[in-house]
Amino acid sequence: MKKVLLFVIILGAVASMCYASGQAEKGSEVKELNLFHFKVSQVEQWEEITEVYKNVVPTVNLNIETVGGAADWSTALKTKFAAGAGPDIFIVDGPALAKTFSEYLTDLSDEPWVEHVLESAKRPMVFDGKLMGMPFNIEGYGFIYNKAIFREAGVLKTPKTIDELRQAAEKIQNYGVTPFGNGYSEWWVIGMHLMNIPFASQPDPEEFSNALDSGKTTIVENEIFQSFKDLFDLTIQYGNKNPLTTDHNAQMSLFNTGQVAMVQQGNWKEVGIYEANPNAEVGIIPIPVNNDPDVSNRVPVGVPFYWVINNQSIVQDEAKQFLNWMVSSETGNRYLTDEFSYIPAFDNIKSNLLGGISNDLLTYAGEGKTIPWSFTTWHDGMYNEFAEHTQKYVAGKITYDEMLQDMQDSWVKLAK
Amino acid sequence: MTLVKKTGLTLLFIGPASIFFILIIAYPFFSGIYYSFTEWNGVNAKPIWVGMRNFIEIFKEDSQFFASFWFTVRFTVTTLILTNVLAFAFALILIQPIKSRGPLRTVFFLPNVIGGVLLGFIWRFILVNGFGTIGELTNLQVFMLPWLGSPETGFWGIVIVYTWRSVGYLMIIYIAHLLNIDTHLLEAAKIDGASSFGMFSKIILPLSMSAITVCLFLVLSWTFKSFDIVLSLTAGGPFRSTETVALNIYYEAFSYSNFGIGSAKSLIYFILVGGVTMLQVRFTKSREVEV
Repeated sequence: MKKVLLFVIILGAVASMCYASGQAEKGSEVKELNLFHFKVSQVEQWEEITEVYKNVVPTVNLNIETVGGAADWSTALKTKFAAGAGPDIFIVDGPALAKTFSEYLTDLSDEPWVEHVLESAKRPMVFDGKLMGMPFNIEGYGFIYNKAIFREAGVLKTPKTIDELRQAAEKIQNYGVTPFGNGYSEWWVIGMHLMNIPFASQPDPEEFSNALDSGKTTIVENEIFQSFKDLFDLTIQYGNKNPLTTDHNAQMSLFNTGQVAMVQQGNWKEVGIYEANPNAEVGIIPIPVNNDPDVSNRVPVGVPFYWVINNQSIVQDEAKQFLNWMVSSETGNRYLTDEFSYIPAFDNIKSNLLGGISNDLLTYAGEGKTIPWSFTTWHDGMYNEFAEHTQKYVAGKITYDEMLQDMQDSWVKLAK
Repeated sequence: MTLVKKTGLTLLFIGPASIFFILIIAYPFFSGIYYSFTEWNGVNAKPIWVGMRNFIEIFKEDSQFFASFWFTVRFTVTTLILTNVLAFAFALILIQPIKSRGPLRTVFFLPNVIGGVLLGFIWRFILVNGFGTIGELTNLQVFMLPWLGSPETGFWGIVIVYTWRSVGYLMIIYIAHLLNIDTHLLEAAKIDGASSFGMFSKIILPLSMSAITVCLFLVLSWTFKSFDIVLSLTAGGPFRSTETVALNIYYEAFSYSNFGIGSAKSLIYFILVGGVTMLQVRFTKSREVEV
């Protein structure tokens, strides 16, 4: 019995010591700032930033946590919040996820950097007139194409419409190269990015999605969705074998080895392309939806993620200060443009050393030939369902009209 | 004093284990039951109580849940038969006095050591790229199929990988059991002129029923819950045709942000799986014989 008692006493003593040391840490001057992001490729740079920032603001210690790649970063984030350990600064990929986290977001409208954010990059994160997130960069996607193959196959003008794209594909096919490398096993390639095109090409995408919500219109009866069939069929007809087992890595290896002339991807693949082939001649063309060059010749440009600040955090001011430092100091800017190779979403940050894809995107953006990333406003679960229906169509299990009907049904179901 | 001492000691021995059990298994289990009656996106501070609505919604509107359920059943039955037949056959061969039986046992057991997710990625590469290349070189129809790209190849892909992985484990159980069978019985039967098939069906098989109970139960509970290999092999694709119930629940909770419905599904599934495995154990137990 005495031994048991002794054991309990020791246990108690150890516990109280742990408690005491925890207390002491809290009282000290250095504040912990926890930051959560999903860019696995930037782990090293973020470590450097942590070190650099210690010299800028010695009282703040940055803790960076990275969950990403193919892993479900948003799952990890939700779990953290469910466990009551939400980070101080974290990432949301658009308004839909921001709404999920709405009760934790901090208003950033009065921050000094707000006036420099590109208007189109700001819009998705404004709720009730308040800006709730800070973008770093803009991204765009379309058909990345191999300029050398296009030239040698005799395609001298970049195709603007479906008909022009078909003529180009025929020439490339005759030249002996597969025109399209379809990564249709990837839900985000087919369900999210490809299906975004007919959504975002509507005269007013926001109104269209509201009309779908309220049942005033349907996907099935929409003209743009109907004409989009030609594009979808074109990629399948002139595409690689087994598109449903080709993921984005396989897609890029087809492209980098010159087996295909085009892949539906975005500027996030640019670094990889130049790494595989430093002299690559690449550019990007829009994905057409019909034969009207005014409607079709547009690239979808959007903000891949926003930084938001947890309003439950005890270091909100430090968090705001840090975000501001990233976009206003020379060091911070250098990381955005040089280290991360971003196209900045700020009009006061100059980007340099961009490759062919980014430059093409900037040209389209400069001419105003853009459409939004409508998928960021879709209801939770829609990517998955759209991927399911479109993959069924690729496999020949359903007709195009059945696919549109299934998409419509999914919309109605998930809009509830 | 002795009573106090006794309870004290009992607490000391059982206490830690009980605390962990309650924290890690019992508490989440019951809170899961609570969430299945709520509407919750996993982030909001307060779930909303909705009563039976989640269950009604699942049974009325969610055809994918039952599609996943049907897929899981087909997958479980196929894998159950394949793994057990193969494992038993390997065990029978590897208790014979063959020279290389030691290394062979190790080799067959080895796949079990590799983690599920990793294994899925390796096999994804083999099935998609490896098979494709073999097909191009040999023109064999089997390898030319779009492996993992259609519902049928997706199904068989998962079955193959699962079988490949679990056979070794079951084989070890069967070997241990077969070695325990009294050789006098077999010798006596041999002297009486029993054929080797007769010896197998009349003596070895009935005496192995207790091992079969264990192995069936193991495979049943593994395959019903299978998640990791399927996630890395097909992620439920193409077009959700290879989605197991575990994946379906995961997507419901984390992709669709419906933690309430997800929890309700897991509760339904818990009851079903519990029922099936209990029936199976009861059935095979009744077939066990003792000498």
